[in-house]
Amino acid sequence: MIRPVRTQNLGGARATILHRTHPTVQALTRQLVAIGLVVDQVWPELGPEALAADFIFFDTDMGYDAQFPWPARAAPMPMIALIGSEAPGRIEWSLQIGAHAQLLKPIGDNGTYSALLIARAGFDRHRALNAEVADLQKRLDQRQTVVQAVALLAARGKTEAEAYAQLRQMAMAWRVSFEDAANRVVARLGAEGKDDQRNQG
Amino acid sequence: MKRKIEIGMLYSRSSSYALIGEASRAGALAAVAAVNADPKLDLHLVPVERDPGGNADQYGPCCEQILRDTTARHVIGCVTSWSRKEVIPSLEKLGGTLWYPLPYEGFEASDHVVYTHACPNQHLLPLLDWALPAHGRRAYLTGSNYIWGWEINRLARSIVTAAGGKVLGERYLPIGACDVDRMIAEIRATRPDFVLNSLVGASSYAFLRAYHALGLVDPHFRAGSCPVLSCNLTECELPPLGEAADGLIAAGPYFQGVTGWPGPGQFASAHEAASYAAVRELARLLAHRPGVEILPLAALLAGAGGPIDAGTHHTALPVIIAQVRQGAFKVIQHRGTVPGDPFLTRAVPAATATLRVVS
Repeated sequence: MIRPVRTQNLGGARATILHRTHPTVQALTRQLVAIGLVVDQVWPELGPEALAADFIFFDTDMGYDAQFPWPARAAPMPMIALIGSEAPGRIEWSLQIGAHAQLLKPIGDNGTYSALLIARAGFDRHRALNAEVADLQKRLDQRQTVVQAVALLAARGKTEAEAYAQLRQMAMAWRVSFEDAANRVVARLGAEGKDDQRNQG
Repeated sequence: MKRKIEIGMLYSRSSSYALIGEASRAGALAAVAAVNADPKLDLHLVPVERDPGGNADQYGPCCEQILRDTTARHVIGCVTSWSRKEVIPSLEKLGGTLWYPLPYEGFEASDHVVYTHACPNQHLLPLLDWALPAHGRRAYLTGSNYIWGWEINRLARSIVTAAGGKVLGERYLPIGACDVDRMIAEIRATRPDFVLNSLVGASSYAFLRAYHALGLVDPHFRAGSCPVLSCNLTECELPPLGEAADGLIAAGPYFQGVTGWPGPGQFASAHEAASYAAVRELARLLAHRPGVEILPLAALLAGAGGPIDAGTHHTALPVIIAQVRQGAFKVIQHRGTVPGDPFLTRAVPAATATLRVVS
């Protein structure tokens, strides 16, 4: 489902243009200021204050990895590539560094507003997907714990299916994820098991 | 000694929205006459007219003819946003400036356009800010099938839903189309608290006549309980509506009888007033500065002051809400002069969410 595009919060937002002094910067600044953003220009490196920017516009013609104070594709804000030479190598670099949208040079009278909205939508989507992937990854990592928890519950005279259902009920009752419930079960029953063994030993 | 300066005029005099074009053209010509008659101004403006005949694809070529075949660098005109967007590439290519004197949907700030009429923070936002508490939050949206209707209704939907209201229906007609039965049937079925009408020209007249007829058979659909609101209705379109105009509510920078803008004198409508103001402002910028008529817009506006913002090229305008009563607009609310905010980034939208419901 496509959600309505987010147009809010551009007023007073900070855009940093990573580009040497050039008419491109002037034209882009005019559009950004008309839209209501606060603009600064830096070259050749994004300083620590770049972390406070809400949008980064970066030059792909002269750009290189070391300009950015974060790893490739890990910018904490939307990034817009300023593309002059449409050579495949430069386009590839802009994607690899993490462009969410692009503007072609020479920059004229328009294009900036759509680049802002498209970059922000792309950034939001990447962030949401990354969070989802991280969550799924965590759950994958916990498969073994779930198997253990079901086995421990089944060892108390239940079928595997009943043990699985019981674990699900526990998760709902405790209002935690299935995997977190499995963690608790293993921590408790596993510990009891060890106690039992110690008592017997 | 007066300097002779050609200015372009781009109005469709034979389209389904010809009344709006004629009103705007009349204002521009009145301003040209006033400037030429003013002994204090060293200007004699010579209009160069082209008529695209209501065909959106003719606006670009007509504008290019003006800029290529005459010395005019400033063009006034275009009624629809569609036509404005069609001429911008010609203005960029040939170095011209369009003075666009009609209300529009915002989200534009071209280097080559001066926007001398209202954008949404000067019409739609104040109109809904007034209407939601006064009439309720259940809306039906209509519009002509192009960017003006689409964007006005998108904004209206976001404002109405943010205020806890509901959009009961949204329907469009191609420019010039008059088959309004489906809209009327949907409105009748959903019984909204108000209708927002962004149809233009003949479609709008057909819709308003049919809605008036509906009100005669079902009293809910009269102005007291379910008014029709508009961001572009002015006196120039009242004649074809006749009695069907009674009760219509509009937002705009001027209504007949309101003083203060655009200077002394009476105007037949806001469209006429805004075009008049545009040409007068152009004349003010050109007067006693020989040669500036060929400057790019940014250079012409630099340090010149006046009502046009040098960053956005939008104009500070009065915001007035008025209702048609016995054939003439009566002011309901005058909200003072408001700068244009085309991207809605400067001012916080009206706090409609906290308003109470009036049943």
